Amino acid sequence: MTDALLAGELPLPPRPDYLHHGSSVWSWLSTTDHKRIAILYAVTITIFFFLGGAAITAVRLELFQPNGWLMTSDSYNKLFSFHGIIMVWFFLVPSIPNTFGNFLLPLMIGAPDVAFPRLNLFSWYLTIAAGAFTVYALVAGGVDTGWTFYTPYSSMFSNTHVFAAAAGVFVVGFASIATGVNFIATTHMLRAPGMTWFRLPLFVWAIYATSLIMVLATPVLAISLLLVIAERVFGLPIFDPARGGDPILFQHLFWFYSHPAVYIMVLPAMGVVSEIIPCFARRRIFGYDFMVYAMLAIAGIGFFVWGHHMFVSGQSPLASLVFSFLSFIIAVPSAIKVFNWTASLYRGQISFESPMLYALGFVGLFTTGGLSGLFLASIPVDVHVTDTYFVVAHFHYIMVGGSVSAFFAGMHFWWPKVTGRRYPESWAKFAAILMYAGFNMTFLPQFFAGYLGMPRRYHTYPAEFQIYNVMSSAGAAVLAVAYLLPLGYLTWSLFYGGKAARNPWGATGLEWTTSSPPPPKNFDWQPRVDRAPYDYHTEGMSAGTDPPEMQNARETQ
Amino acid sequence: MSDETALLREPWLDFARQREAGKFGIWVFLASETLFFGALMLTYMVCRIEHPEAFVAAGRETNIWYGTINTAVLLTSSLTMAVAAQGAESYARLRRLVIACLTLTALLGLAFIVIKGFEYKEDMDKHLVPGAGFELPERAAQLFYGFYWLVTSVHAIHLSIGIALVGRLVWVLLRRELPVTENPEIEVTALYWHLVDIVWIFLYPLIYLPGRSS
Amino acid sequence: MSEPANSGPTVRRLWTRNLVIWAALMALLLVSLVGAYIPMGRITTASGIVIAIAKSMLVVLLFMELAFAKPLIRLAAIAGLVFLSAMFALTLSDILARP
Repeated sequence: MTDALLAGELPLPPRPDYLHHGSSVWSWLSTTDHKRIAILYAVTITIFFFLGGAAITAVRLELFQPNGWLMTSDSYNKLFSFHGIIMVWFFLVPSIPNTFGNFLLPLMIGAPDVAFPRLNLFSWYLTIAAGAFTVYALVAGGVDTGWTFYTPYSSMFSNTHVFAAAAGVFVVGFASIATGVNFIATTHMLRAPGMTWFRLPLFVWAIYATSLIMVLATPVLAISLLLVIAERVFGLPIFDPARGGDPILFQHLFWFYSHPAVYIMVLPAMGVVSEIIPCFARRRIFGYDFMVYAMLAIAGIGFFVWGHHMFVSGQSPLASLVFSFLSFIIAVPSAIKVFNWTASLYRGQISFESPMLYALGFVGLFTTGGLSGLFLASIPVDVHVTDTYFVVAHFHYIMVGGSVSAFFAGMHFWWPKVTGRRYPESWAKFAAILMYAGFNMTFLPQFFAGYLGMPRRYHTYPAEFQIYNVMSSAGAAVLAVAYLLPLGYLTWSLFYGGKAARNPWGATGLEWTTSSPPPPKNFDWQPRVDRAPYDYHTEGMSAGTDPPEMQNARETQ
Repeated sequence: MSDETALLREPWLDFARQREAGKFGIWVFLASETLFFGALMLTYMVCRIEHPEAFVAAGRETNIWYGTINTAVLLTSSLTMAVAAQGAESYARLRRLVIACLTLTALLGLAFIVIKGFEYKEDMDKHLVPGAGFELPERAAQLFYGFYWLVTSVHAIHLSIGIALVGRLVWVLLRRELPVTENPEIEVTALYWHLVDIVWIFLYPLIYLPGRSS
Repeated sequence: MSEPANSGPTVRRLWTRNLVIWAALMALLLVSLVGAYIPMGRITTASGIVIAIAKSMLVVLLFMELAFAKPLIRLAAIAGLVFLSAMFALTLSDILARP
């Protein structure tokens, strides 16, 4: 697995890797290479991440003081709405699937590309067009409905740019569906010889499960927004109570997508963590089969719990009961995964490189966020904490503490493969720890503020909550630094970092068998698979008993 | 250059596999379209459950002849599309038949749009557009027509895309840029076309049949 | 390019098979049209939808050839319907049970 030649092996003729195979701007904008499309997406979502981050920086500044010292309530409403819309649909949903998924899915299954390469490029262009609509909405004056577009406010009463924002989300939804179709077809049809379903890396399973949700849930979001646009722009009554419309119907349609959407945001993160923990504990994943079943269960049951966002909306008690029950059930597969990640560490030879720091951070923060979800699933508790900062803290623990941590974990883990460069590890460790500290300082106080009654989406609050808000805003400043640091040192590594070997971490997986960066068609020979994934040690042995190829593959730092 | 090689594209090494993947991919997309139009059907169902008399009164005002004729037109277009798609799969070189049937399909689709256009005009003349001056007294009848205008427009957009896809196929096949036999694009377009037909099959009883028996 | 001599029976077979299905679809359309005028209360409404389901089954199974497709294709077709049913069922558990 090292770059050294075997006896009698001839060196390959020099050929460009995918980054240098064509260097004009047009070659990038017209590419059908999944790896280049992944880079295009990575740049795009990074820009959106910082746009959404800028919005929330303004919000947290406003919340330093309880009396609305910086802006009007209208501006505040527009800022948190923009933050939500951008972060959900233009960062979290596409982040891991369209960057790592695009780059790694064909590599991990031993394929030369995805099933429909031109559709892949079209997805990216749809995302760009959609982003243009949404940024236009902001620049033209913003939208103040919240990312949830609740009716009848959004359809009848708001005076802001609902149409542009909703249109942007509508279009990016189709990018999502196209990506989902592509990945599902790729996984079914392009696996290398010997790559059976239960030899697939868990990241592939995660992307597959995510793609199922993308394909089946997103169309309903499209309809919910189309109905709002029809009412708003064409005056067609759908949700107008005066003409018999039912505003709660919007919530059913919206949340039918938006609950599974949170699993779109978290399942790929779980996939990333499942790749990293075995590598840095030098152990096979514990309970591979159940990890697969758990992901499929999360994807499936995730479609049946959306009403837990609607306990106080006026929904029938029967529906609330059913949704509450199912919401408790869906905690089980997630818990199974957390137990299995933990068990994978047992008798491991654990090292704390930055990917592992982020991955372990994911496990802890996701668990905290997930447990807080159980409180929310209980109707009597939810009646008190709904629309408070308790909910805000809950989903940020999972989305930011979970998904964003995993995104950074994957970024560091696969950076050598994608770019062929090594980043400075000590800076990365520092940033990881700073992020963990900043994150908790930002969001832990919000659990308390919410539990004590501070509502969300208000730019003023009673003075008794100020202590929590100041802690939270200070933490946000630390978090911002922790997010900017990787931008700095990773960019630095592109120009000044050392060259990466084929398999610097000594990891299993087909992506590590090809060069860093990979050639345009991924592999110089047809991969064949004859073993289970995570083959870090012989069955029955503890960690640290890596086969010789694995030991030699690890680059000495 | 054999027909198969002309149709082979990256990243596929085996044409049969590429066809299979294309067929699978379009069915996955059709599953998403099921949820897309299904959500609209759910909207109708919820509104009708909440306002049964108003929906019955509103449904009575639709033009059953336009609706029934249009349904027949689309069903016939599914016939011609099915013959075209099955003809393309056959090894007996049926190029003229396939192109003729595709052309008929597109023409029938256009006929639907034209008839719909006349129907829309009549609806507007009868003041069946929600808003001030709406024809019927029941408030929720406006809800029915809100749904009607929206869902028929969305269907018409899907149909227009289908007509464009079929038209493009006819053009490309006439100019012999692509072969007919086993052409995956014909199969994929046919499946999409049938879905657009199925959507209308369900819209017919929801829009045109309520209120006829009273 | 003229068709070779042996394509005649194929063409005839194609048209026969598909015209029979088309005739069934037209008959069902007529039945639903006539049935709509018969006052049977809820059954009138239901009949329209049941006939629509029958028509779409014919189109899906025979025109779209799902009856002869591989299991994977059939799974993809059914998946949409499964989650659609869940959406209907759980939404109706709200709408129909409102106090």
